[in-house]
Amino acid sequence: MHISPAKLFLAAFLINNILLMRFIGLCPFFGVSTSVSTATGMSVAVMFVMLLSSLVTWVLFHGILLPLGLVFLRTAVFILVIASLVQFVEMALKKYIHSLYSAMGIYLPLITTNCAILGVTFLNIDYKFNPLQATIFAVGTGLGFALVIILFATIRERLADAPISKSFKGYPIAFVAASLLSLAFMGFTGLFGISL
Amino acid sequence: MIPENRPSRLKYFTSGIILENPILILMIGLCPTLATSVTAQDGLGMGIAASFVLICSNFVISLIRKIIPSSIRIPIFIIIISSFVTIIDYVLQAFEPGLYQVLGVFVPLIVVNCIILGRAEAFAYHHGIIDSILDALGKAVGFTLVIVLMGIIREFFSAGTIFGAIVTPAGFRQSPVLFMIFPPGAFLLIGILKSIVNRLNENKGK
Amino acid sequence: MNSKVWMVASLVIICLLSAFALSKVYLVTQPRIEKQKREAVNIALSQVLPQADSFKPVIPDTLWYGLDKNGNKVGIVIKVTPRGYGGTVETLVGLNMEKKVTGIRIASPAEGLHETPGLGLKSRNPDFRNQFKGKTATEIRLKRDGGTIDAISAATITSRAVTEGVRKGIEKYSKYLKP
Repeated sequence: MHISPAKLFLAAFLINNILLMRFIGLCPFFGVSTSVSTATGMSVAVMFVMLLSSLVTWVLFHGILLPLGLVFLRTAVFILVIASLVQFVEMALKKYIHSLYSAMGIYLPLITTNCAILGVTFLNIDYKFNPLQATIFAVGTGLGFALVIILFATIRERLADAPISKSFKGYPIAFVAASLLSLAFMGFTGLFGISL
Repeated sequence: MIPENRPSRLKYFTSGIILENPILILMIGLCPTLATSVTAQDGLGMGIAASFVLICSNFVISLIRKIIPSSIRIPIFIIIISSFVTIIDYVLQAFEPGLYQVLGVFVPLIVVNCIILGRAEAFAYHHGIIDSILDALGKAVGFTLVIVLMGIIREFFSAGTIFGAIVTPAGFRQSPVLFMIFPPGAFLLIGILKSIVNRLNENKGK
Repeated sequence: MNSKVWMVASLVIICLLSAFALSKVYLVTQPRIEKQKREAVNIALSQVLPQADSFKPVIPDTLWYGLDKNGNKVGIVIKVTPRGYGGTVETLVGLNMEKKVTGIRIASPAEGLHETPGLGLKSRNPDFRNQFKGKTATEIRLKRDGGTIDAISAATITSRAVTEGVRKGIEKYSKYLKP
C-alpha cells in the first residue's frame, strides 16, 4: 500500500473513522459513553492495547503464519493473542503501575471482545501495511476512537438532562446523536484526496 | 418437578425473536447490523453467516460442556467459535465471492460478535443439545430478521429497490434518498426502530 | 484423571482438532477461491471488450491484450484510477484496433471504487457508461468542456474524473494497439 504517513494517519483518525464511518467497535461506543470519565478510561485502554496488539499480530502473521502456510489460523490466533495480551497487561499494570491500573483496569477485560482491536489487526493485514504503516494506523485509529467516544460522552451527558419524549430516552436518542455526529464526520470525505 | 412448571422448550426458540431480540432489546451485535445492512441481500448474507457460526458453536459447546474444565472454558469457546468463523470465511470466499467482498472484514469479525460468545457462556454451557440449538436458532432468526429489515428499508430509500427488485417509479430512482446508504442513515434508522420498540413496550406495560 | 492435566490436555486437543479441521477446509476451498479470482477478472475484462475470447496480461493489473480464437489481437483493455470527489474510481476501458472505445466498466464499491458511495454508484449507471462506446479519445470530454459526454446530474466532479481518466488512459496506452 502506497500512502504517505501523514495521509494514513488522517485517514485512520478522521476520514475513515473506525466508529462513525466503519462501524467497528460500536458496543463500547454506546456502552461506556454515558459519562466522560468512563469514556476516557476506555479510550486510554483501547489505544494502548490497540497499538500493542497491532504490532504483535503483525509480527506473528508475517513472521510465522505466512511463512509456514498457516494463514487459515489467522482468526483463531489473533483473538487468542489479544485475549492473552489483555490478561498480561492487566497483571503487569496491577503489579507495577498501580495508578494506571486503577484508571483503566476495569475496562481491560471488556477489551478482548472489542471488535475495534481485532478489526484493526485484520485491516493491517488486509491493507498489506508494513510495520511502520501498521503502527501509524493503530495510533491514528486509537486516537480517532478516543476523540469520537469522548465527544459523544459529552453530548450524552447533556442528553441525560434534556426533556426527551419517553420512547426516545436512552438508546434511541443516542443513535440519533450518533447519526448527526457521523454526518459531521462525513464532511471529512475527500479531504486532501485521501482514501483508503 | 411437575412438567407443566417447566418452560416449554419452544420458548427457548421464540424468546430470541421478540422478547430477547439480540439487537433491538439486548442491544448487542450492533457493528455488523449497521455496517452490512446497506441492501437487503447483504443483510441476509451477514445474518446467515452469523447464524451458522452461532448454531454450530452452540451445538458443539453443549455437546462437550461436561468435559470442558470451567476455568479454561472461555479460551475453549473462543477456539471453537473462531474455527467456525474461519470455515464460513473460506466457504464464502469460494462460493459467494461477491458477497464476501461486500461483507469484508465483518466476516472474520463475527468471532467477536457478542451474541455468540454470550450465548455460549450464558446458555449452551448449562443446557442440553436440543435446548441449545433451539436457543441459537431463536437468536439467529431474531438477529437476521432485524438486519434484513434494516437492509430492506435502507435499500428501498437509497436505491428504490428491495432485494434488487424495482418497487418505485423511475423518478424516485433517479434521485433517491442517498442519505440512507451512508453511516448517518444507518444510525438514524436504528434509533427510530429502537424508539418504536420502546413505545410498544410502554403500551404493553399499561 | 488429575484435573490440572486434563485442563492442559483438553486445550491441546481442542486446538489440534480445530487446526486439523481448518487445514482441511483450507485445502478444499483454496483452489476454488483462486479460480473465482481469475474468473472475476476475466468476466470484467470481457464486459468491456466483448469481441475478445481470451486476455493476456501485459502490464500487471493495468494493461491486457484481448485475443480472438486464433490468438490474433483484437484490442486492449486498460485500467485507470482517476480521482473523483471522495476518492479514486477504478475504471476498465476496452479499446478496439481502431482506437475506439468498446465499453467502460466502473468497479463496484467492493472491488476498488473509493468514491463517496452515492456519487460512485451513480457513475455505474449504464446511461452514463454507454455514451463512451464507439468514441475516440478526442470526443471523450464532457459537453461543457467541449466534448460529447453528458455529465451525470449532481455528480459533475465524478463524471469529469471518469471522462478525463478514460481519455488520458487511451492517450497513454494506445501505442500498445500496434499489432
